[in-house]
Amino acid sequence: MVDEGERAVLDPTERHSRRKLRRRAFLAAAGGVAAGGLTIGTATLMSGGTGKRREPGGSPPEGEATAAEAGTGPIADPLRRAAHLLRRAGFGGTPGEIAEFASLTPEEAADRLVDFEETDNAALEQRITRANFNLTRLRGGDGRPGMASDMRAWWLTRMAYTSRPLEERMTLIWHGLLTSELGKLGIPRTKFMLIQNELFRRMALPRYDDLLKAISRDPAMMVYLDTIQSSAAHPNENYARELMELFSMGVGNYTEQDVREAARAFTGWRLTAPPRVQLPEGASEAERRAAQDAAAEAYEPEFVIQPRLQDRGMKTFLGKTGPFGGDEIIDIIMSHDAPSRFIPVRLFREFAHANPGPETVTWLAEVWNGSGHDIREVVRAILKSAEFNSEAAYRAKIKSPVEFVVGAVRGLELETDFRATLRFWGPMGQTLFQPPNVAGWPGGPAWLASATFFARLNFLDAFLFPRGRPLRIEALLAREDASGMVDEALRRLVDGVMSDGARGALVAHAESIRDPVERVATVAYLVLASPEYQLA
Amino acid sequence: MLSRRDFIKGGVALVSIGTTAQSLLKGAVAFAAQHEDATNPAAAGRILILVQLAGGNDGLNTVVPAGSGAYRSARKTLAIPEEAVLPLAEGYGLHPNLAGLKRAWDEGKLAVVRGVGYPNQDYSHFKSMAIWQAGDPELKLDHGWLGRTLEKLESEQHDPFLGFNIGSSTPAELETPAVSIPSVQDPADYGFKVRGKPADASEPRTRTLLKLYEQYPAQSPYGVLLETTVEAAVASSAALAEAARRYRPAVAYPETSFGGGLSLLAEAIVGGLGVRVGHITLGGFDTHANQAADHGELMQVLDEGLTAFQADLEAHGRADDVLVLTWSEFGRRVAENANGGTDHGASSVMFALGSRVRGGLFGDPPSLERLVDNGNLGYTTDFRRVYATVIEGWLGVPHEELLGARWEQLGFVAG
Repeated sequence: MVDEGERAVLDPTERHSRRKLRRRAFLAAAGGVAAGGLTIGTATLMSGGTGKRREPGGSPPEGEATAAEAGTGPIADPLRRAAHLLRRAGFGGTPGEIAEFASLTPEEAADRLVDFEETDNAALEQRITRANFNLTRLRGGDGRPGMASDMRAWWLTRMAYTSRPLEERMTLIWHGLLTSELGKLGIPRTKFMLIQNELFRRMALPRYDDLLKAISRDPAMMVYLDTIQSSAAHPNENYARELMELFSMGVGNYTEQDVREAARAFTGWRLTAPPRVQLPEGASEAERRAAQDAAAEAYEPEFVIQPRLQDRGMKTFLGKTGPFGGDEIIDIIMSHDAPSRFIPVRLFREFAHANPGPETVTWLAEVWNGSGHDIREVVRAILKSAEFNSEAAYRAKIKSPVEFVVGAVRGLELETDFRATLRFWGPMGQTLFQPPNVAGWPGGPAWLASATFFARLNFLDAFLFPRGRPLRIEALLAREDASGMVDEALRRLVDGVMSDGARGALVAHAESIRDPVERVATVAYLVLASPEYQLA
Repeated sequence: MLSRRDFIKGGVALVSIGTTAQSLLKGAVAFAAQHEDATNPAAAGRILILVQLAGGNDGLNTVVPAGSGAYRSARKTLAIPEEAVLPLAEGYGLHPNLAGLKRAWDEGKLAVVRGVGYPNQDYSHFKSMAIWQAGDPELKLDHGWLGRTLEKLESEQHDPFLGFNIGSSTPAELETPAVSIPSVQDPADYGFKVRGKPADASEPRTRTLLKLYEQYPAQSPYGVLLETTVEAAVASSAALAEAARRYRPAVAYPETSFGGGLSLLAEAIVGGLGVRVGHITLGGFDTHANQAADHGELMQVLDEGLTAFQADLEAHGRADDVLVLTWSEFGRRVAENANGGTDHGASSVMFALGSRVRGGLFGDPPSLERLVDNGNLGYTTDFRRVYATVIEGWLGVPHEELLGARWEQLGFVAG
């Protein structure tokens, strides 16, 4: 296998190998949410005494409450509703954006996000150009970061300063659903992940059939799920299985025989060969590496089908028989009923909450089928729905690390290129381009464990007190007294919604600090570390 | 030596500032008072440390069939010279870089299980590791094999460090929704920092933060999770810090990340955190090329780390409580390839190390004359027999339900 050596270089085996089992655990956990069972994990977590400290179910996981209380009515306050929409469909708003969206009807606000092509994004592109990210050189050199690090900073910068938040949000959702991972690709193929990321952004709101056909030919995906290893003589089932299990239908809607037949249809799918490495006579190790890097950087992989390796025989798949290739397999899957109950539900969980009821699932399938599997219309419908705009959906999801950090930058209108943040993402549990397994990040309560909680707090400490000195946060310094600063931070970061007791503790702490810069950084730390801010 | 109960009492004083953490630790004290002898007396307090050799360890060059002509002719460059191996018994010997393990063998503290594998070996790293981690070649059992075991132990023991992983995320064999497994890569990062410096829960900013969590309504979505997460974080970081104060390594650990991780496991054990299952990974065993140097180096890292760990536990009087078990997803091909390496193989060897291990060779040696699947060693010992031995024979938990079948235990656990 071509990539074994590269795997060893990155030593991803420990993490990567858990793919299969992790995915099963993920699916089991998803079932647990539906059954209201996930609280067991959190309740026993701290059951320190002779029994459980709290009964399981004392606090429902996301979705359970909302499903039960779906009738609690719409979010009344326009500012709070706009902030909720911008958190879910983006990464949180600045006060200006929230005010602007609050002046629209909920329908107009959703349309503005969904039809994002009409929003000018030139300021972001200029910022990206100025930041001069290294997106071409594998190892940077001269003290500059390598491509993999700068790709992460580049994407975070896009998320933080875009005027089209849903475009970046969808790119992140596709990265978590149609997952690939740098560790298995190896350093020389770093660029493949950038190519995939640009595919997701280009097809942020596609007809889903088209996205599946495109991702099936995507270089990173072809390496990650072994399509490039698959031949008529030795069909590799990895891609065929995940295509059905995770990318379209969900388990229980196809047989092992369907997996085998589909695998035959993707055989012979290849990428053009990388350029040969020309080494000078008696090259040193450094020269050898430089030559290999240069070849990898110049490589533009292109999709090809090698007829010699392709199985062009008859296949029987999901009850249909023919000499199918990969595209026909995708067409057959998409003509099946299972995706209509799988993909729109996944999107609903991403945007609204984890546990849509049966009526919602039926309604989502109608939108899916009525639009011809158009993701744009599915997302539009979700964002305009009463369930999305209800009090029960408000603050009922756990923020991912990306939402946590990018939301802070947007809410406080901070300036950063994220390069200084990169060492914190692994401990917080979300390294972009490196999801834990083929099922993506599990999300929900999995974001908050003791170690990742410390990582969040210690990120805040380092970010707001770089080298131990408080950051100047201009947006909050405009307010002079302690309670004014606290209220401004609460307004920007948690829609001003916090209990009187908690607000009192914040004001008392702020009043104990004389220096205004330090006071502001401390208030920002406390609000960003608060339970309210951990929720989206 | 202080008992666990004493330690927990001390922990209350340590974090008494945070009332939420205090309530947790009060619960733990109450539990310790009532259940000090509640666990299976024969296995109470016994600890399993699982060491993953990730990438497929070459069992043939780890426990070498030194006198075998078939071994020598299949490995023109990679065969270890007969005079270099460290002799064990029956013509087998250890890799020359395993000198510490050879001393453990001589003291009767090292068991070698040969020919370990499973039916229809899958030569994919991922699939094969998933099988080992699930403890099920069919991948039909939920969660990890040690996760399922921890669920049973959790019903008797409520320590935040019941399972403890060295690394950044929970390994699949420890996964279970019922037990939270702290994963610690760097203990210096496992706690509150204020302006970049470690601080405890009594520091004013942290105290205010804990008030915010106390104020958050528990009936809100995730209200309990948020509060218990903070409680767990405060309690376990305080406990880890206290364990660090109680522990001074008695030996010099090698300056490898593997050695550092083992030292942290020793700290958790000696510091009385209630660990029953620990996990650590040593990666890099996927030796398709340049195997002689790379594998030799890995053997040395493994040997130096485990030797220091065992000596440290002995010096602290805890060696009787700990059994170390190594595993890898598969062995490697018998014949070497054209790149001075070996490709993915089948059965391999496992080590069990500890003062209460019955030393010796276990499992039949796989035949070098009758290879399977294009040149691989067949398996003679199902890996679930090893699991059954440590789950039941060592940790004292009945294994049949956990592994979905009854397996004959191997005899490497002493009395």
